[in-house]
Amino acid sequence: MALEKFGLIFKDNRCEIKDKEKILSKLKVILGEKNVSTREIDLIAYSKDSTLITLNWRIQGQLAALPDLITWPENNDQISKILKLANEEKIPIIPYGEGSGVVGGAIPIYGGIIIDMKKFNKILEINDKDLTVTVQAGMNGMNLERYLNAKGYTCGHIPQSIYMSSVGGWIAHRAAGQFSTKYGKIEDIVLGLEIILPQGEIIKLKTIIRAATGPQFDKLFIGGEGTLGIVTKATLKIWPYPEKRELISYAFPTIEDSLEAIRNILRNQIYPAVIRIYDTSETSRHFPQIKEAKDKVMAVFVCEGNERLVNLEGIITREKCEDNKGANCGEEPVEHWFETRFRVTETSFGPPYKIVFDTIEVSVMWEHAAELYHLVLDSVKKVKGNLHITAHASHFYPNGVGFYFTFSGVATGGKSDFEFYQECWDAVIDACVKAGGSIAHHHGIGINRARWMEKEWGKALRSLIDIKNLLDPNNILNPGKTYFPPEKGGAK
Amino acid sequence: MSILEQLKKYKWMIPIIANADRDVKRIVLKNFRLKKKNFYPQGEYKADVKNLINCMLCLKMCRFDCNSLQGAKTESMAPAYKSLIGYYLSVGKIDPSKEENKDFINLMYECCNCENCKIWCPFDFSVVSLLETVRDDINDKGLTPSYIKEQIEKLNKTHTIEDTNIFKTYEEKGIENIESDGNDDVFYYIGCEMMKFPEVVKANIEILKKAGIKFSTNLDKRWCCGAPLFNTRHLDLAKEYAKQNIDLITSSGAKLVVTDCPGCADTLLNRYEKIGVKLKVKVIHILQLFKQLIEENKLILKTQIPEEFKNVVYHDPCLMSRNLNVISEPREVLKKIPGLNLLEPICNEKYTHCCGYSGTLHWANNDLAEKISQNRVNELIETGANIIVTACPLCELGLEKGIEDNNKKKIKIIDLTELIAKVI
Repeated sequence: MALEKFGLIFKDNRCEIKDKEKILSKLKVILGEKNVSTREIDLIAYSKDSTLITLNWRIQGQLAALPDLITWPENNDQISKILKLANEEKIPIIPYGEGSGVVGGAIPIYGGIIIDMKKFNKILEINDKDLTVTVQAGMNGMNLERYLNAKGYTCGHIPQSIYMSSVGGWIAHRAAGQFSTKYGKIEDIVLGLEIILPQGEIIKLKTIIRAATGPQFDKLFIGGEGTLGIVTKATLKIWPYPEKRELISYAFPTIEDSLEAIRNILRNQIYPAVIRIYDTSETSRHFPQIKEAKDKVMAVFVCEGNERLVNLEGIITREKCEDNKGANCGEEPVEHWFETRFRVTETSFGPPYKIVFDTIEVSVMWEHAAELYHLVLDSVKKVKGNLHITAHASHFYPNGVGFYFTFSGVATGGKSDFEFYQECWDAVIDACVKAGGSIAHHHGIGINRARWMEKEWGKALRSLIDIKNLLDPNNILNPGKTYFPPEKGGAK
Repeated sequence: MSILEQLKKYKWMIPIIANADRDVKRIVLKNFRLKKKNFYPQGEYKADVKNLINCMLCLKMCRFDCNSLQGAKTESMAPAYKSLIGYYLSVGKIDPSKEENKDFINLMYECCNCENCKIWCPFDFSVVSLLETVRDDINDKGLTPSYIKEQIEKLNKTHTIEDTNIFKTYEEKGIENIESDGNDDVFYYIGCEMMKFPEVVKANIEILKKAGIKFSTNLDKRWCCGAPLFNTRHLDLAKEYAKQNIDLITSSGAKLVVTDCPGCADTLLNRYEKIGVKLKVKVIHILQLFKQLIEENKLILKTQIPEEFKNVVYHDPCLMSRNLNVISEPREVLKKIPGLNLLEPICNEKYTHCCGYSGTLHWANNDLAEKISQNRVNELIETGANIIVTACPLCELGLEKGIEDNNKKKIKIIDLTELIAKVI
C-alpha cells in the first residue's frame, strides 16, 4: 500500500465505515462503476485543497487528510441518493469543486465520501435580454468566462483563482473577484440557485431580480461552504463585454493617503472595476521598475464599460488621487498587473526551504481601516520566526475596505510548521478583531478560521448552528468546519 | 523562467532574510543549505526534481485548459498532481517497483502532449517535458509499461509504429512511389499515419507534380521519424532513427522537406536537435508550400466548392499551431477556396484543444483519449460546420473516434488537401 508511507495531519476522529465494501457497492449502483473510486491514486488526489500549509505537508510526504471514497455524480438524483445513503450510514460528505479553496473547506478531515462536482460542467443558457447565464455548479470559472467573452459578454467575476475555481466554489465560499467594485461580489451576481439539501431534498430558488418574500433563503447557501447543501446549478448576472478600458495608477506617500483618496472616489459614487493598493513593501516587490513609486504606496485602477462613463470615472479618479498627494505613474503599473496577475510562482518557492507562507484577507469599515492595517503588521512581526508581513487591499466599498495580508516565516523552538502557521493566523485575526474588523473577506472560514467564529458572531453563532442542525441533523455535510473547530465537530 | 528572472523576482527576500533575528536567520540558512538533502532523491536519477517541485506546488493555473483533466474530470488527472506523483516516484515515497503501484506509473504516461499547460504556466513548463524525465528513470529501472514496450517492439520490427512497414503498402493503396535520383528540389516526407489516408497522399503528389516541382518520396526506404521514441524516452534508438532519416533526406539532394504530418515536422525540426543530430535542410508543412504556390499562381483554386463541403471549421493541430507556429497559412488557403465559409471554434490557433491521440495517452488510457476527442469534436460542431478540416493524420484519426453516434451522419473530417483537390 502506497498510503502506508504517508503521514496524516488530520488523523483523529476519522469516521468509521464498518463495511466499506457494502457502501462501495451501493454507490456503484447509484452512480455506475466508473463514477466511484477507492483507488489510492484518487484518494491521495482528494486529500487536499489549495490551503498553502498543505504545500509544506505535500513536499514532506504528509497528507492533510484522507477520504474513503470518491464519487463523480452526473445528475441531481445521484447526489440526492448519495446524501440519503450517507445519512443512513452516518458518513461525512465533502463536496469538491476545483479544490482552489485556501482555508481547508474541501479537506476531508474526518474521511468520508468526496462528491466531486466536475461533471456538472454545462452552460445551460445565456439570456441576452435578462443578461443572465445559467450554468451547472461544477463549471470551471475560466472556461465559463472564456465562453462568455466569445459570445460578447463577461460575468465580471474574476477572482485570482479563476483558472482553478468553479462556480459552485465561488458560491460556497462567498467569493469576490478582482473587478468586484463595479460588478459586485458573488452574492450580488447570483440570481437563482438549485440546491440539494443535506438529507437529499432537491430545492429550486427561482431566478429573481429581487423579492420581498420573507427571509431570503439563498443567503444561507452563498457562503454555506458546503455545510448546508450542495449547489448544483446557478443563474448569474452577465454584462456586455466592456467597450472601453482605462488604466490609471498613482503612488501615495502613505497608506493613509491612498485609503483617503479611494474613500473619496467611492463617496462620489465612482466605481472603477478594479482598485488595488499595495503597501510600501509590496510596492517595492511588485513594481520595482516604477521609479516614482519608490518607498511609496502604489494604487492601480481599471475603469471599464461605456466609453463616456469611463471617461468621467477617469477624470474623478485622477482628481481624488491628486487631491490626496498621489503622483501619477501612468498605465505601465496597471499593464504590469494585467500581465502578472495570474502568474504566481511564490507558492512553489517556500516549502523546499521549509518556509511557511500564507495570505489572510479581512475587512473593516473606513473608520478603523488604517488602524487595522498597522495593528496586524505589528502583531505578526512579534511572532517568533516571522520573516515578513505585508499587505495590499483589493476590495473597496463606499463604507470600508478589504485588506489582504501576506506573511512568511519558519517554525522555531521545536514547533511544527502547523503550530507556527496557526500562531501567525492568531496574530492576524486577534489584531483584526481588536480593530473592529471582520475575520474573513472572501476566502471563507473552512477549518482555518472556525476557531474564531464565536468571536466574530457572538451569540448569533448559536442560531447559525441551530440552522445547521435543523437542515443537517446527522451532521454529515462537510462536518468539522465553518461553525465548529475541527476537534469539536463532525460525525464520528 | 530563467535563473536571472528568478533572482530578480525573489530579490525582495534578501533584505528580509538579512534583517531577520539571529535564530530565524540561522534556521533559514540551514534550510537553504539542506534543501537537496531534505527533499531530493538519493543516488543517481534523471528526473527533473527541481521543476517537478515547482510544478507540484504551483497554484495550478493551467488546469482549466488541460485536455486530459477536462476529459477525465478527476483531480487525479490534474497536471500539478502528475508532477506530485512524479516527485513521489522519484524520491521513493511511492515505490515504482511494486505491482500495486502500477496506477502511479501509468499516470506518468497519461498525457496527450498537447502542451496547453505551457501557455498558462508561470514557469513556462510543459508538464509532459517534466514527466518525460520521470519516464527516463522508469526505463532505467526496467519498469517500462507493457503497452509502451509493445510499441518499441513494433518499431524494432517494422521501423514504423504499425504491425507491418506501412510505407511499403503504397502499391496496394495506389500511391506512386517516386525514387530519388539524388538531384531533387523537394523531399515529400509522408507521415506513417498519413499512409492510412491514401487519397490525401495521392492528392499531394498530384499537386506537387502540377506545380512542376522535382521531388521524391523514397517510400521503399522510409522509416518512422522516431517521434514515439522521443515520447517514450528511448533516445538511443531515436538517434538511430534520426540518422537514418537524415541520410535518406540528404541523399535525395533536396533543399526542402515538405511533410503532411505536423508530428514529423516537429520531430525533424526540433526534436532531432535536442539529441544532438541536426538536419541541415529546411522543413515545412506541405500547406506552407501550397500557400506559396497559390500566391505564385502555380496552384489555382478555380472551381466553386461543392455545397456539401461549404461550411468548414478548421481544427488547428496542437503541434502545428504551438510548436511550428503555422496558423495563418491553412486559413489563407481556405479563404481562397471559392464559396467556402470558414468557421472558427472558441479555442483555436495557439489555444487549440487536442484531438486526444498524441503522446502516450492513447496507449495508456484509450478511453480518456476518446473522451478528449469527443470534447474537441463537440467544440468544433458547435460552430455549425458540417466539415471538420485539419492538416494532421493523427488529428484526423483521433477526431474520427470522438464523433458521437448521433453526429456520425452530420459531420465529416477531412484533410485540407482533400478540399484543395476538389477545386483545382
